[in-house]
Amino acid sequence: MQSTTTQPSPLLAATKTKRIPGEEGVWIFILGDISVFAVFFTYYLVQRGKHVELFDLAQATLNKNFGAVNTVFLLISSLFVVLAVRAMRAAERIAAQRLIVGAFFCGVAFIIVKTFEYSERIAAKQIPTTNGFYLLYFVLTGLHLFHLIIGLGVLTTLFFLARRTGLSKHQWAFFEGGACFWHMVDLLWLVLFPLIFLVR
Amino acid sequence: MTALLRTPATAVWVVLITATAVSWTLGTQHGTHDHKLASVIILLIAFIKVRLVGMYFMELREAPNVLRGLFEAYCLIVCTLLLGVFLFG
Amino acid sequence: MAKKMELDSGLAKAAIWSGIALIVAMIVAQGFMMHFIPPPSPALSAKELAQRFIERRNEIRLGCLIQCIFWSFWATWCMAITIFIRKMERGWPILTYSSIALQGGGYVFFILIPMTWGVIAFRPESLDPAVMQIMNDWVWFDFLFTWPPFAVWMAVIGLAIIKDHNVPTLFPRWVAYLNFWCAILIFPAGLIVFFHDGLFAYNGIGAFWIPFAIFFGWMIAMSVLTLQAVDRQKTRPSENQPEMASV
Repeated sequence: MQSTTTQPSPLLAATKTKRIPGEEGVWIFILGDISVFAVFFTYYLVQRGKHVELFDLAQATLNKNFGAVNTVFLLISSLFVVLAVRAMRAAERIAAQRLIVGAFFCGVAFIIVKTFEYSERIAAKQIPTTNGFYLLYFVLTGLHLFHLIIGLGVLTTLFFLARRTGLSKHQWAFFEGGACFWHMVDLLWLVLFPLIFLVR
Repeated sequence: MTALLRTPATAVWVVLITATAVSWTLGTQHGTHDHKLASVIILLIAFIKVRLVGMYFMELREAPNVLRGLFEAYCLIVCTLLLGVFLFG
Repeated sequence: MAKKMELDSGLAKAAIWSGIALIVAMIVAQGFMMHFIPPPSPALSAKELAQRFIERRNEIRLGCLIQCIFWSFWATWCMAITIFIRKMERGWPILTYSSIALQGGGYVFFILIPMTWGVIAFRPESLDPAVMQIMNDWVWFDFLFTWPPFAVWMAVIGLAIIKDHNVPTLFPRWVAYLNFWCAILIFPAGLIVFFHDGLFAYNGIGAFWIPFAIFFGWMIAMSVLTLQAVDRQKTRPSENQPEMASV
């Protein structure tokens, strides 16, 4: 039987030793994922270079306000997750649960705004098969959305972990790792929004 | 809650929000002037934000050098690559 | 009371190596002989596609015979990993049974590929090019569009490793994350239904090359990792043998 700790994990400020947030496996996942996205980011700019006017014209039809609002939602949710991890380390489980719920609702808000954004495009007959720009727009933001939805699942697991009275070493690793996954979702949008919506 | 907020990550968050506002302002300017400079700044800001999220939110500042190094390398390489393709591709 | 069972490491390793043989055969037969790595573009006209089958019909016929043999090893390779899943599970073997069900069907998907090409190459001169085009499209959809059960199995492997009750675990924990990541990454193969050319056509970088590289890279990685796991089993002290699920 794995031992469960009844003490909270030491507050990071108290330790000076280097440690891997979460566990190594999480970083294979995260570094791998952001690398694949980097390939797509590069491909987007290469394609743009071949069809500059087309891309610039199409980009002008996007709703930048929706994109900016979504960036703010994700930044707020990431802050909540940072605070939730701190709360767990201070054994403040109720606070952690509330913060995770807050992050979850920010994610839901993102999805709602995204739905409006996509609906606007579709209503204007701007769909993935219209041209190369809209194809990449829908694929990249769609792939990100897919990761965000998985992230909501991860946050749900973190919520249930926060309800437990003590976490094993592996559960702590999953908690931190899951938090990092959510930050990755945020991080990817921090590139996607300016790249697709603003750069011209 | 205030105790929880007393961490560098909170200050970083304020920087991130501000940077987002700056990028959005730069990106939504209208006018016929060349937008290249603004776009370069926007991309640079984006990767500074990415690095901040990695260092302060994902706690890579306290991670072993290999892991931190890989992430820093990612930020540097991808930012350079994208700027290169944008300006010269 | 847990039954103690020996792992026949010779058989297990042979099963793993059968998967390597599968990959080599695919590169030789499908790649070099049939010239079907990468796929012919879906944007080709029916006549152009028919020409490819007529010109290379002998290579295609022989390559298909070879492939029908080697795709069978998908089943043996998967079961080498599945016996480890059985050991990692405790209690009712839901993950083991899911694995068997998912991959028992897996080799069928694979074997239909050379079987269909064989049928096309059987009478390529007299077959209507439009019919050949549909059949060829069907093959590529069979190869790529059917990614979900494979992604689900990767997730099952990952889950089994995360939940492994053995001390030490039979696979290192990071292998679970590798599997979760590969499961997500082969998903673009599903986009081929929307595009006749470009990034997500069935010969495109996004929908063919990336999932293809990830999938067979994963097979190679899992082969190495499972061979290592088999070796570790040999050196486990006998009282530390993993408990077997009671089925």
